[in-house]
Formats: sequence, structure tokens, C-alpha cells
Amino acid sequence: MKVSTKWLKDYLDYDCSLGELARKLTMAGLEVEEIKEIEGDTIFDVKVTPNRGDWLSIVGVAREAAPLVGSRLKMPSPQVDGSGPAAADLIDISIDDPDLCGRYVGVMIRNVEIKESPEWMKERLTAAGMRPINNIVDITNYVMLELGQPLHAFDYSLLRGSRIIVRRAKPGESIVSLDDVERKLEPDMLVIADIERPVAIAGVMGGSDSEISSQTKDILLESANFTSTSIRRTSKRLGMVTESSYRFERGVDPSITAIAAMRAAELMRDLAGGEVARGLVDVRPRPVEPWIVETRPARVNAVLGTDLDAGVMADYLNGWEIETSISDGKLISKVPTFRQDITREIDIVEEVGRGYGYENLACTLPRTQQQGKDSPEGLFRERVRRILMSCGGQEVLTHSMVDSKLAELAGRSELVLNVRNPLSEDLDSMRVALIPGLLLVLQRNQAYGTVNANIFEIGKIYFSKADGGMGEKLSVAGAMAGSLWKSNWSLSADALKVDFFLCKGVVESLLDSLGISSVRFVETSDPLLHPTRAAKILVGETEIGFMGEVSPDVHEKLDLRERACVYELDFCALMKSTPDVLRYNPLPRYPALYRHIAVVVSDEVKYESVAGVIKRSGEGMIEDVDLLDVYRGEQIGAGKSSLTISMVFRSPDKTLKDEEVNSVLDKVKEALGAEVGASFR
Amino acid sequence: MGETATARIGEAKSTAELDALETEYLGRKGEVTLQLRKIGSLPPEERKDFGQAVNDLKEQLNAAISERRETLAAGEIDVKLAKEAVDVTLPGRFYQVGRPHVLVETLTKIKDIFIRLGYEIVESPEVECYRYNFEALNYPEEHPAIDEQMSFYITDDRLLRTHTTAYQHRQMENRKPPIKVCTLGKCYRVDAVDATHGHTFHQVDCFVVDHGITMADLKGTLYQFAVEMFGPNANVRFRPDFFPFVEPGAEVAVTCSICGGKGCNVCKGSGWLELAGAGMIHPNVLEGAGIDSEEYTGFAFGFGIERIPMLQYGIDDLRLFMENDLRFLRQL
Repeated sequence: MKVSTKWLKDYLDYDCSLGELARKLTMAGLEVEEIKEIEGDTIFDVKVTPNRGDWLSIVGVAREAAPLVGSRLKMPSPQVDGSGPAAADLIDISIDDPDLCGRYVGVMIRNVEIKESPEWMKERLTAAGMRPINNIVDITNYVMLELGQPLHAFDYSLLRGSRIIVRRAKPGESIVSLDDVERKLEPDMLVIADIERPVAIAGVMGGSDSEISSQTKDILLESANFTSTSIRRTSKRLGMVTESSYRFERGVDPSITAIAAMRAAELMRDLAGGEVARGLVDVRPRPVEPWIVETRPARVNAVLGTDLDAGVMADYLNGWEIETSISDGKLISKVPTFRQDITREIDIVEEVGRGYGYENLACTLPRTQQQGKDSPEGLFRERVRRILMSCGGQEVLTHSMVDSKLAELAGRSELVLNVRNPLSEDLDSMRVALIPGLLLVLQRNQAYGTVNANIFEIGKIYFSKADGGMGEKLSVAGAMAGSLWKSNWSLSADALKVDFFLCKGVVESLLDSLGISSVRFVETSDPLLHPTRAAKILVGETEIGFMGEVSPDVHEKLDLRERACVYELDFCALMKSTPDVLRYNPLPRYPALYRHIAVVVSDEVKYESVAGVIKRSGEGMIEDVDLLDVYRGEQIGAGKSSLTISMVFRSPDKTLKDEEVNSVLDKVKEALGAEVGASFR
Repeated sequence: MGETATARIGEAKSTAELDALETEYLGRKGEVTLQLRKIGSLPPEERKDFGQAVNDLKEQLNAAISERRETLAAGEIDVKLAKEAVDVTLPGRFYQVGRPHVLVETLTKIKDIFIRLGYEIVESPEVECYRYNFEALNYPEEHPAIDEQMSFYITDDRLLRTHTTAYQHRQMENRKPPIKVCTLGKCYRVDAVDATHGHTFHQVDCFVVDHGITMADLKGTLYQFAVEMFGPNANVRFRPDFFPFVEPGAEVAVTCSICGGKGCNVCKGSGWLELAGAGMIHPNVLEGAGIDSEEYTGFAFGFGIERIPMLQYGIDDLRLFMENDLRFLRQL
């Protein structure tokens, strides 16, 4: 809200500089966000918190500032002596729905002359960001800015039956509002009606067919107090936020209703030559009186961590017109009706805190002593992050709210949680897997000229459950493409070129570093993955994730230049598979002997079976089996591979002799021949 | 002969030349060897002196040879090593190493500070019930405070949490005071995307409930955090603000880390940067979770993470964090 400091001077004397005033207001909670100099005036742009509707006026700001600058508010007191007929004889006002309207004041001003407002008024309205229209409309806006009470002026001659009925809209009713838009009204919206039709949307906007025009002579001025929640609902439903609805939503002082009406009438008399009818019509089905809040000074000190005297507390409160006395050691506060935010002791605690100044509070630490600790997930996450980074992975952080097309791409549309009110079509769902987002990162970096990448992310994925419920869980995923070399001049780039096995190497390194053993990779199919280069990852019997080359289809859709490989593991499954305690194996005491063999097997035979046979038939002497090379070629015949395998022989309790090893090796060969049809080169 | 031989040995240019000289003088048919063999043909009275002289010569030459050999060997290694010289300015050969993401690293740093301050870190859901995000936090129905946190909805009563504070009630339901916990993670608000706004951002949220917790404790805690995060010269400024779930409520600013509090463009001349929303937990929130608000008090605070690395590294566009341009990530 824009506050003219020149206007403020009308209600408040202060000696301090404007900068000091701004600082004081800010430190009291009414933040001056910007100070702007305009011709002959300085404007404060203040940020009014939603609980303090009473700050939404010049008088409200002056009232807040008064005790801060050691001054008192000079409240305008309109002096109007009516003449001629009584207002009550000219207009009949009734409230059908008192739950939505606690008070309605009508004042009649006759024979006004519609013209431009005087310059000083136009300047003040403009400074507040409002457009001057004509003297009558401007006065309603001026008084709203001054006192915080939204007002509305009707052309009296256009109201039918000289009646105002405050009621809920009837089914099917509509109104053309001042902005010339036809608004369909719903039965729980409050309207101001005459005997025939709604003439205003209560607290939001007037209707165009009872609007002030150059022909207007007689005015019915409305000053009312509408229920905040009702105005908010109507304003939201109709998509209309006005200066009026904004104030009603935040609460308008029910005691200012008549004062504001008289203030506007006074100005209409002075600036539009109007004759104010005698008296006013004040319909008040729900009168609001100041209420009492009791506060224990000890409680105030206990919450704030202060040691203030009750008298000092009362002084702060009285400064803001919260009349407070001390009785039986308690603060007894009579809360003025404009402070609807104060209803209980804790609210008074805050007022005292504001009076004392938060900047004066001490700095202490809570008495609660406990050992700080990370969550189990947090601890494990750090471990996984460090390992993947040591495998060359660059950590990334991608959006959870994504295009639902990504779930389609991942073939997981049935899991997707849709956002009902997305910002845009490409943000209409929650991700079902991390891989699609990671592939988009590869795609984007490719566009920026970075083709070589090895990235990973630990983040949440979201899913709907069969029972209609929804869930979210942590996932670990990586994507890589191109070469993993940073620099490899004169060396073969192919040596670290991303393929299935390089990706598998990263996954294996992760699992190995975590101490997870008995891992198996089994062929699988997944919409994201290449049909013949995809594996699911099993620890024991539990599937913890999948990996492989990206499917040619996905590859093409994303227009990736290099073949990408990916993995995604269930974070919790990974965590569960990780042993809590690792045990050390004593280092061998006897030397090892090494042997290589070239095993020729048909392509149907998996390496896993070959290695399995070797280990099983090694009579416990084979400590390790490692693959050195895979060769295919004419020499060994079509449909066959030659696997060069190295073996480490060792006994825990003696030095092995060549003959012993050779005899075991013979048995291994025999078993390989028998079990997987191997021959040897 | 001795002098000539010693001179020749001393001048030998290579181990090979030296070998040749050794053979020439001391080999089986070498000059010195031949001299020794002559002994037998000499008269007995001369033999002793002659033998002595030749042996002396032999020793002298041997010494010269081995001395020269050492010198030559040293020189030849130098030559060999010189041939192995590399251009040390050629780039190293290695694979691209991985780095942490700057925002995740900031989250980790913040988490570590709060762990040191005795907080237990807990996990918290992002897809949240309307109730936990608003009602349980004392947001009145149909209140403009809700407008400040426009939400993305999944269903009528499920939304993407707009603040990490949504976990508060869940924690209070499942624990008994004293409670001292912290959570971190993604939050979502309907907000147009630009250099300083996004629909997704990260927050951290801490709260304490115990006997005798005061607002001064809150202030001291955030001061401690500011010092650990921003350095020993950091200070905090508290001023009143409104959040439905706290009363008294405060906005917390820290000393501008760019100008050190003198006032600059970044802090709009104030010397302070807004950091957190904070306050004493509203009695309604405690009571709603079955905690006696007479017996216990508590404080809570929460803040956005993005701002911190933006200030620390001079990052001017929030979108860089989630865009994951490797040219950006590899710098930090």
C-alpha cells in the first residue's frame, strides 16, 4: 500500500526524519519496502501483513506510528448537521442475512454537482495509485484510503422502490458490474438489492445501472461491514479483487462504519455542494463492542525471554490504543474493535514484544539438549552421493513436477500423479522415475555443446497406488553418454566410451563400495531400455533396480547424439541390502598361483555360468576368477566366443605346488566341457 | 706407459671405449698382463722390484678405470633420462571427476549445522494433506494468508506442500516433548518462473517444543546458525511479521554478506537480507496436536535455500540450479 507521508502529517505530528520513521515502522512489523520521492511528497510503499487489515489506511498507519514517534493520533471528526428530510424517510434499509452483514449505514446527500475533484484530492488519490473519476466517486475512495472503510455511492434515482435489501443472491441472478462485465451470481454471494434486482456485489463492486453519472443529483452513500470470509469467497469465485474486497477480506473496523459515512458526507457537502439529509440509517444486527483479554505478565516474560515490568507492558499496549490496566497482577486489556487480530493472551504477548522491540530481545539457546543426528535416509544418501561422485558422477538436481509425457516415455503412465492446476501443460504431473529427467539433462547439455556426461541424482519419485492412495519414495539414478575421459590425448577414447558395460561398472562399483554381495544382473525388458541390452539388478532374490542402454526409440525421440546408458535403483531397497556391519577377512598368508585359460563356448552360454562352473569345480582353491578378453572370429567358428579367463589359486593353509594347481585346472576344464560344452584353445 | 694409459683412460668418451682400453692394458693379452708374464724371464734379483712396479701400475689403472667408469655411467644415465623428458605442460590424462550439485551441497551444509546444534533430521512428504499444510498450522478457512501460498493440487485434499512447515503437526502427533527436529526438501507454489522465482524451491524448517522455550532462544539459535553459515561477523535482525502458525511471529534478516552490512544494491541499501520466517509456535498449533500449551512452549523457523548459494557464489539466476548445465555445475 502506498502511503503519502504528507497526508500522514494530517493525523500525526512527528519530529524524526522520514528515514527514521520508515525504520521504526519496519521494526514494528509494518515493513516500508520502498521509499519514493515524488513532487512535493514522499511515498512509503508498505507491506501490510494479512492479519492487520487495520493498517490499510492512512489513519491506521498513523495510529501504528504514534507511540513509535512519541505522538498521538489526530483522528478526523466529521462535523455534519443534516437538513431537510430525514434519511430514514428517503430510504428503507434492511438486512436479510445478518450473518454476512453485521452493519449497514446509509446516508443521503441531495443535489450534488458532479464535477472534477479539487487538485489536492486528485494528487492524494494519484499518489495512492488510484485514478480520479469524479468528485463523488473520488470522495468514496478518499475516505476509504483515509479511514480504511470501503464506501459505495448509488445514484438514488436509479434505485427502485427507495429500498436497499442486503441479501444473498437468488438462483439465476446476475449483475453487470461497474467494469461492464455481466457477472453470474451464486446463491451464497451477498448482494445489495433494491426491490427488483441486485445493484451491487456486496463489498466487491457496484452495479453499472445505479452508477454515478454526470446526471446524478441525489446520492445514497453506503458504508457497511461485511463478513470477511463471505467477501473473500465471492471475490475469488468471481475473480474480482478490488480495493474494497481486499480490505473486507482482511477485516474492516465495525466501529468506523458511521464515522466514515459522515466523513464522506462532509466532503460531499464541501466539495460537491450536496445537502446532507438529517440523520443516518444505521442497521446494526450484530453490534461489536471492544472485548477484554487478560494477560499474565509472567507468561509474557516466559514466552519472550524478557524480564519486563507489568507497568511497562501496559504502557506499550496503551500506546496502541489497547486500553490496559493492571488488576490482581494481571493485564486487563480492552481491545478496540479495529484490532480483530487480538483475541487471546498470546496476541497480547506479541504486542508487548513489538513494543519492547524484537531487536532488544536477548540471544540465548534452548535448554533442550540432545544429540543431533541425521535421518537414516540422510546418512545413507550421503554415502551413495560420495561413491557415485568418486565414480565420476556429476550430481544433478532436476524438477519433480514434469510433463506427463515423460511418464508415457517411461511406460509408467498408470503410476502418474497429475497436477490439477498446472502452471503449464509441460508441468502437469509428478515424475514417476528419475531417468527421463536425467535424459533431458543430457539432451539439454548436448544442445549446449557438452556431449560427454556422467550424471546422477538422488531424489524422490511419486506414484499412485492401486487402492487410490499416493506415495513418494527416494530413488537413485544415473545417465551417461559419450566418453568419460576428461582428457585422453594419444590414448584410445573408446577405452572409456559409454556402453552397457561401463554403466554396469558404475553400478557394480556402487554396490561393491556399499559392501553388497550376491548381486546378479538378469536380462529384463523396460520401455526405457534397449530390448537386448537391459538388465534388472537382484540382490539375493530382491530386485533393487534396473540398468541398460536407452531404447533406440527413446534415443530417437530425444534426439541424443551418443548412445546413452542409464540405471535407476530403489533407494530404500538399496539401503536395506547394505550390510550394517562389515567384517574383515584375514589377509592370505600363502602365495597365490595364477593361470589363464581360453574357453570357447557357444554364444548361448552366459559368462555367469562359465564363472560359476569354474568356482564350483575348483575344489576351494580358486580364490578369484576374472575375465580378460572376449574374442569372436573365424578362427573359433560362428556362434561361438572365446573367453580368456584368469584364475587365482590359493590355499589358506599351505603354499600350493604347480602340480596341485594343474590337476585342479584339469578338473575345471573337464567340468567346463561337461557342463557348458566348452572347448579350449 | 703408465702416464699415457692413465691419461687415455681419463679421456675415454664412453663405457665402450673404456672397455676397449681395459682390454688393451689389462686384458688377457693386454700390455700390463704381458709385462707380468715377462717376470719369469727376468733375473731373480730383478723379479721382485719389477713385479712390484707392474702390480702398482695394474692397481693404478684399475682405479682409474673404475673411477672413469663411474663418471661415464653417471653421464650416460643423464643422457638416457634426458631422452625421457616430457613436456610437463601437456594436459593430464584422467576421467572427468564428479562434483556435488551446489544446491544439494548447501542443503548438506545447513543440515550439518543443525545436527551440530542438536537437531534430529527427519524425512517429510512433499505430497501433503491440505490439513497438515494449512489447517493444522492455524490457517483460518478462507483467509488471505492462504493466497500467499498458492498451491498445486493433486486431489481436493492432497497438494504439493507449499512449505516444509507442513511436517510440524505430523512430528508433534508422533512424539512427546521435548521435540527438537529439522527437515529439508522441495516445496512448491504457483508462481511464474523468472530469475528469482520458481514453482519449485527448497526449504529447511526446524522447531523445538519443551518447557521454558523463549523467543530469545529462537533469536540465539538463528544467530548461531548465521555465524556458522555466513561467518563470525554475521548478525541477525528480528522484526515482527505474520505467519498463522506462530505468535509472536518474526521475519529474520542476516547481515548482507555482499557489503557486510554497509548497504549495497543487493540489500537495497539496508545492510540486511531477509532470511527466514520464525516465531513462537502458536498455542492453537500445539493444542491441535495434543500438546499442553500452558506447560510447553516452542519456537519454529523456516527458510528458503536457494538464496544462500546465490549470495555466496554471486549466482544471478535461480533457474541455473535446476537446469543442470554441466558448464555451470562443474564450476562450483
